[in-house]
Amino acid sequence: MEALAAADTKPVASPLWRGTIAIVLIGLILQWLVRDHTADLPAIAPWDFFWSEYLAIALAGLWYARGVNSLAAGHRPALWRQIFFWIGIALIYAVLLTRFEYMAQHMFFLNRLQHMVMHHLAPFLIALAWPGEAILQGMPASLRQMLRAAWLRHAMRVLQHPIVAGLLFVGLINLWLIPAVHFRAMLNTTLYELMNWSMVADGLLFWCLVLDPRNRPAARISLGIRMLVVILVMFPQILSGSWLAFSTRMIYPYYDLCGRLYPSIGALSDQHYGGLIVWIPSAMMSSLAFMLILNHLRIEDERMAALGPPAGTGPLISSSAWTGR
Amino acid sequence: MWWFKFPTVISLCMAIGLVLSVSRDAKADQGWHNFDVTGTSPDLSFTAARARTDQTVSQEDFRGKIVLLYFGYTNCPDICPFTLSHAANILDDLGSTASQIRFLFVTVDPDRDTPKILAEYMQDFGPDFIGLRPTPDQLAALARRYRIAYSVTPASAGHDEEVVHSSAIYAFDKSGAARLLIPSLGSTTPDIAGTEADLKRLANESATDGLLAHVRAWFSFGS
Repeated sequence: MEALAAADTKPVASPLWRGTIAIVLIGLILQWLVRDHTADLPAIAPWDFFWSEYLAIALAGLWYARGVNSLAAGHRPALWRQIFFWIGIALIYAVLLTRFEYMAQHMFFLNRLQHMVMHHLAPFLIALAWPGEAILQGMPASLRQMLRAAWLRHAMRVLQHPIVAGLLFVGLINLWLIPAVHFRAMLNTTLYELMNWSMVADGLLFWCLVLDPRNRPAARISLGIRMLVVILVMFPQILSGSWLAFSTRMIYPYYDLCGRLYPSIGALSDQHYGGLIVWIPSAMMSSLAFMLILNHLRIEDERMAALGPPAGTGPLISSSAWTGR
Repeated sequence: MWWFKFPTVISLCMAIGLVLSVSRDAKADQGWHNFDVTGTSPDLSFTAARARTDQTVSQEDFRGKIVLLYFGYTNCPDICPFTLSHAANILDDLGSTASQIRFLFVTVDPDRDTPKILAEYMQDFGPDFIGLRPTPDQLAALARRYRIAYSVTPASAGHDEEVVHSSAIYAFDKSGAARLLIPSLGSTTPDIAGTEADLKRLANESATDGLLAHVRAWFSFGS
């Protein structure tokens, strides 16, 4: 917050309203095209147009770009962070607002791929980009003020309690995989949108918690707890992934009822591939996060070592005997 | 505990309620023989050309009827003819009730299914079978609304032509609300008796019954 206050003094690059109006106009055109001319649109155009998804993605992009431009040089995110942010945003856009969405509605394994991107890959990249400060800086001041509300901070504290965050992370994936829930969510537009929102939002909450580049107390939880959380969430995913990958009966009738896109892939194979996607890439993301946190710990250790032994009279424990440093 | 506060408890209860209400088993619920999609799938809404007259029709033209909506194509070797002939048998069995039911066959291959071909094909099954030819945009809108997969890949060297379409029939009640997904009529083991019972039940429903079913769909927790 101190950083924000300092950066507030620099004039912003482009008027916010111009960008917002452009986004709304493009949205109106897209909505009209999707409603009346779907058949003529290229695969990169949306299959179904959801204002909430479109606005969230476009406004986050606008605010981030504007924030990066207006932040003082010292506070500006490194280039690699900016690239990660744009890849993450582009991935979410690609799985929600292109023809890929239609494919993901008609093959179970593509649906799992879509969820993997929404819940794991894209939020992971965005968390690594750590764009919060830039987005806050780029958004309208009134909205920024609203985000400082006490109830919101309280809600975040609850949602990012390590136990709550871990349970939500595995709970939400598995909630939408309950056969009856999956059936309804795939047929009902409102539930479908809620499902997509819950996936992206929870992905961002979780990965921002465990990949926080800061240390405690600025970060919510310690590096040790983070390592524990990313490893613990891996097992339920392996369990449900392998349950699907080794299934011997059809679990999700929706895809049979409404049609599979590739008749050459049988119902069970589709389910098995889907299971592999729940199982392997998700577990790999956890391992990757674990290694990143370990690296964070190492850097932190070295920084502390460079500062010299802490002043005090307690027993001094040195790691040099077994690390050679 | 600091996070164990009233709003947290309320949100938790709402979340559990939502989970329970959406996790109702679509098939075991309320004694239907087919998948119950009441309150889940959207109401009947479409525009397409009627094959026999080549005039544009919409859901308004079928108000007050039970509508069975199906996607297929006339060159279909197995699933479509199975579905249509099973449906024709069902309408025969239902006798006078059948006058309340219309079967809408939407072609996913409008290029080859000309109005004449489609109208003749429908005639084989009975007067209550209506062929619809949507434009590509109308077909896409229908597919999006009812989550239907469809595609036509013309034959090429070494590959037969491939047409993808859904296998289930949507059933809409007299008010136009989506009520059932009927999965089995395209198979060799169709649930004829169950589907007849379901259609009779829909036909005997008053407007209030339909509304009640809608309300029940959102409030029957896990039954």
